[in-house]
Amino acid sequence: MEPKTAPEKFIVPIGPQHPALKEPGHFEFTVEGEVVTNATARLGFVHRGMEKGAENRTWVQDLYLMERVCGICSHVHALAFSLGVEKLAGVQAPPRAQAIRELVSELERIHSHLLWLGVAAHEGGFDTLFMFSWRDRETVMDLLETISGNRVNYSANVLGGVKIDINEKQADAIRKGMDFLEERTQHYLKVVTEDETFLGRTRNIGVMTYEQADFLGAIGPTGRASGVKRDVRVDSPYTAYSDFPVNLVTHTHGDLEARFIVRIKELYESYRLVRELVDKMPAGELTVKVPRRIPEGEVISRVEAPRGELLYFLKSNGSDKPERVKVRTPSLCNWSSVLVTAVGHNLADMPMILAGIDPCFSCNDRVVTVNRKTDSTQMDWEDLRQYGIEYYK
Amino acid sequence: MNINFPPIVALLFFPGGAFLLFSGLVFEYIDRKLVARFQNRIGPRWFQPLADVVKLLAKEEIIPTGVMKGLFVALPVVALTAALTSALYVPLFGFKPVFSFQGDLIVTLYLLSMMTLCIGLAGANTEDRFSLIGATRALTQLFSYEAPFLLALLGPAIALRTWNISEINAGAGSGLWFIIAQPIGFVVALVGLMGKLELPPFDAPEAETEIVAGAFTEYSGRGFAIFKIGRDVELVIGLTLVASFYMGGFATPLDFLWKTLLLLLVTAALQSLFARLRIDQTVGMWWRVGVLMVLLQLVVIIVGQQLAPVIQPALQSLFGG
Repeated sequence: MEPKTAPEKFIVPIGPQHPALKEPGHFEFTVEGEVVTNATARLGFVHRGMEKGAENRTWVQDLYLMERVCGICSHVHALAFSLGVEKLAGVQAPPRAQAIRELVSELERIHSHLLWLGVAAHEGGFDTLFMFSWRDRETVMDLLETISGNRVNYSANVLGGVKIDINEKQADAIRKGMDFLEERTQHYLKVVTEDETFLGRTRNIGVMTYEQADFLGAIGPTGRASGVKRDVRVDSPYTAYSDFPVNLVTHTHGDLEARFIVRIKELYESYRLVRELVDKMPAGELTVKVPRRIPEGEVISRVEAPRGELLYFLKSNGSDKPERVKVRTPSLCNWSSVLVTAVGHNLADMPMILAGIDPCFSCNDRVVTVNRKTDSTQMDWEDLRQYGIEYYK
Repeated sequence: MNINFPPIVALLFFPGGAFLLFSGLVFEYIDRKLVARFQNRIGPRWFQPLADVVKLLAKEEIIPTGVMKGLFVALPVVALTAALTSALYVPLFGFKPVFSFQGDLIVTLYLLSMMTLCIGLAGANTEDRFSLIGATRALTQLFSYEAPFLLALLGPAIALRTWNISEINAGAGSGLWFIIAQPIGFVVALVGLMGKLELPPFDAPEAETEIVAGAFTEYSGRGFAIFKIGRDVELVIGLTLVASFYMGGFATPLDFLWKTLLLLLVTAALQSLFARLRIDQTVGMWWRVGVLMVLLQLVVIIVGQQLAPVIQPALQSLFGG
């Protein structure tokens, strides 16, 4: 059936408002029948001006701001920021604090991967798996609440350490939770590798070869599913990852099934790490003192977020406020891989391919002023604010 | 039960008409509740489908620009009318059908297909891109499940040598149930019904994560409510047909209740077991597997019927001829 509106090019818009998207983004898929022939993305609907906002706040206040960059991986943002600040200040958090930081990171990875499993299953129309994995995710959310008091923004970090401690009762709860989750995860691994209808939607769909992944700079589980051996936790261990190392999980197929398998196997790694951390938690202080004014300098701090490498660039001018905070989130690196792998697949596969990189919109939206030769503009904070007011009037 | 209702009563109140509309909502509730329980959710309260319909009926109906207005308004009504009309030929709630003649099976199946045709037209009528894709998919799906579904329902008809629904209903209960005699036909008929009603995993025509609500995307208020009721009515009639053909027919309302509800339980379980099939997978499945299986079944029935008088009465009872 030929559409009557556009005889040559039939473009299906997904977003900014669409049931498949939990955050606003805009994608245009050119289709021929059901087959996608071209894909474009437009981001930037949830730009919040956080990097700029960070320059107006002190280092301590920024910690809380940065934690709110992402609602799913709030801990790693605060972690990357505080690791950077500590490096600038020339201090190091005590071992127990480092171990607790790693513990919360891994708990957060568990909750993020289980969340993703549910979302990806929902995009493929498998709501039962969605409901079950989100039910089990509550276990780890409850654990995070037990140890930090919060389900989402755990606020575990302070500059120079952590503000939460793990007592024996909490440790027991964590061990029990990990046992339950491991058992459930075994079931999910079985479902995603054996269920025929589900395999029909994931096997050989959205295949990204190693060369493509390497060229496009795919990172995190998305890259690892294509055989890219890249993980900050292994490559340059931070916090306690050198004492409690993580095994790299990779897969060679690069299709959606491989992304499911990599993430689920990473869950096992996290369970193992969490147990080990709880059992062998080093004793000692939780914080060291960090000066209010951070010495002048620049630093890059990298951590492995659930979605891949998270990079913070911090520049200090010696005052109590940062000169520049630059955040590069993993979703941004993976977008191009979606647009490349989408072509040639069915429209029905698009939601799953989109979800396959575990996209996060609000953390990667930025404002860019493009310097063209003719109409070059520079905007300061006040102009930008005014522009925003005018734009949305 | 052989009570004869005057046609006007049957059409407007009982067992068709108003009563059928409400039982459609009840069946929708049971379906939603069962799926929810299978998915470890709590599910809706008992009046939720009714509340949905009342709310939708009370809302403004937005007619988008670029549609043929008359068609846009008429399509849901036609779809519901066709579904309600088909109720006159089936043994609803175990009562004798109001109208009955040789070949009413085919008429009923046509009337049941009207819904999908209306959905296809409704989608093609608007300029919305999601609706267009939804309409294409709905019609593609129609061409894939319709033939096997029809063939599956023909199995009992051929075995009993009649094309009259009430005679099949009566005959189905006399011998061995067709669910045992013709298991393939039963599976195909039940899965075909799920395809007809666009239940998961055959919900590609309205896959919300891809094309929002498919052909219904532009529908709101009254039109959407009527489509929704029409589909509920079709759920009841479809379950009635499959249960009466394959599960020994109905003699009493109680028979009707437990047989259709058992079928509903099975469909709810199937709905929660699978991931959504892509439209190409749906078509492939029906034509590569469904049709071949039913054809095999038909061959067995016909050969059995030819051989039955010759060989032994046991075979005769097995195939009901």
